[in-house]
Amino acid sequence: MQHPMDEQELKAQLNLIESMIAQGRRTTEHWSWAFVLWGLAYMVAIAWSAWGHSTALAWPVTMVAAGLLTWFIAARDSLQKAETTMGRAVGSIWLATGITMFLVFPALGFSGHMVDTHVFIAVASGILGLANGASGVLLRWRAQFGCAVVWWAASVLSCVLGENQSLVVFLVAIFLCNIVFGIYGMTRESRGRRARGAVHA
Amino acid sequence: MPELPDLNPVVHGKMRLALLSLLAGVDEAEFTWLRGKTGSTDGNLGAQLLKLEEAGYISVEKRFVLRKPQTLYRITEQGRQALMEYVQALKQLLGSAIEA
Repeated sequence: MQHPMDEQELKAQLNLIESMIAQGRRTTEHWSWAFVLWGLAYMVAIAWSAWGHSTALAWPVTMVAAGLLTWFIAARDSLQKAETTMGRAVGSIWLATGITMFLVFPALGFSGHMVDTHVFIAVASGILGLANGASGVLLRWRAQFGCAVVWWAASVLSCVLGENQSLVVFLVAIFLCNIVFGIYGMTRESRGRRARGAVHA
Repeated sequence: MPELPDLNPVVHGKMRLALLSLLAGVDEAEFTWLRGKTGSTDGNLGAQLLKLEEAGYISVEKRFVLRKPQTLYRITEQGRQALMEYVQALKQLLGSAIEA
C-alpha cells in the first residue's frame, strides 16, 4: 500500500482529482464555431436575397449548405468526444431548434405565406431566443442568456418597427449573438486548452 | 491516535487517478478524448486503461462510427466507489499531516 506522502503531494493528488472532474463536466463539445458559421450564413442569405440573382433560392440554398457543413464538421468531431448529460440536454435543444426552423420556414415559403418580413424576423428571432435562453440557463452562462435577451428584443421590435428598421435590428442581433458571441466562445475555448496542463504518469 | 488509511495502489497512479476522475465527470468518453485531456501517449494510456478495466473500475465498449472504430470508456459503480474511498483516505491523511 502506498503512503505516507507529504502534505504537498496529498494536496497535489486532490487538486488533480478536482481539475480532472471539472474538465470532464465542462461542456465537452465545442460549438462556438457553429455560431459563427450560422451567423455568416444568415448574412450571406440576407445579402443574396437583397442584391443577388435568383433571390428565391437565397435562404434555402444557404441554409441547406450551412446545415450540411455543420453536420459534416460535427460528424468528424463526434469521433473525439465525451458525452455528458448536460451535453445531451444542450444538444437536444439545438437539434430541435434546427429541425423546427428547417420545417417551418420552407413550409411557409413554399405555401406562399411567407409574405411579411416582420413575421419572419419575429418568429426566427423568437425561436433563437428560446434556444439561447434554455441553453444559457442550463449552462449557467450569462453571456448566452444575454444573447437570448437580444433575440427576444429583436423579435418584439420587429413587430413594431418598419421593415427596413426590423432588418437592421435582425442584422445587429445576428452580429452580436452569432458572430461576436461565437468568436468570444472560441476565444474562451482556446484559452481553456492553453491553460490545461498535461498529466504524466 | 487513529490508524492512517491505506491508499488503493490501482487508483494511486497519477495517470490512473486522472483517468478515473475524468470519467467520473462524464457519462462516457472516447479514447482520443482521454488522450487529449491527459496528454498521454497511446501506449501508456492503453496500458493504464487496461489496469483500470482489469480492476473492474471502468468498462469498455468498442463500436464503429462512420466506418471508423471508436472505443468508449465508462466508470463503473465499483470505480466510483474506489475513487470516493481514495479521496476520503487522502483527506484523512492530509488532516493528520496538518496536525503533525
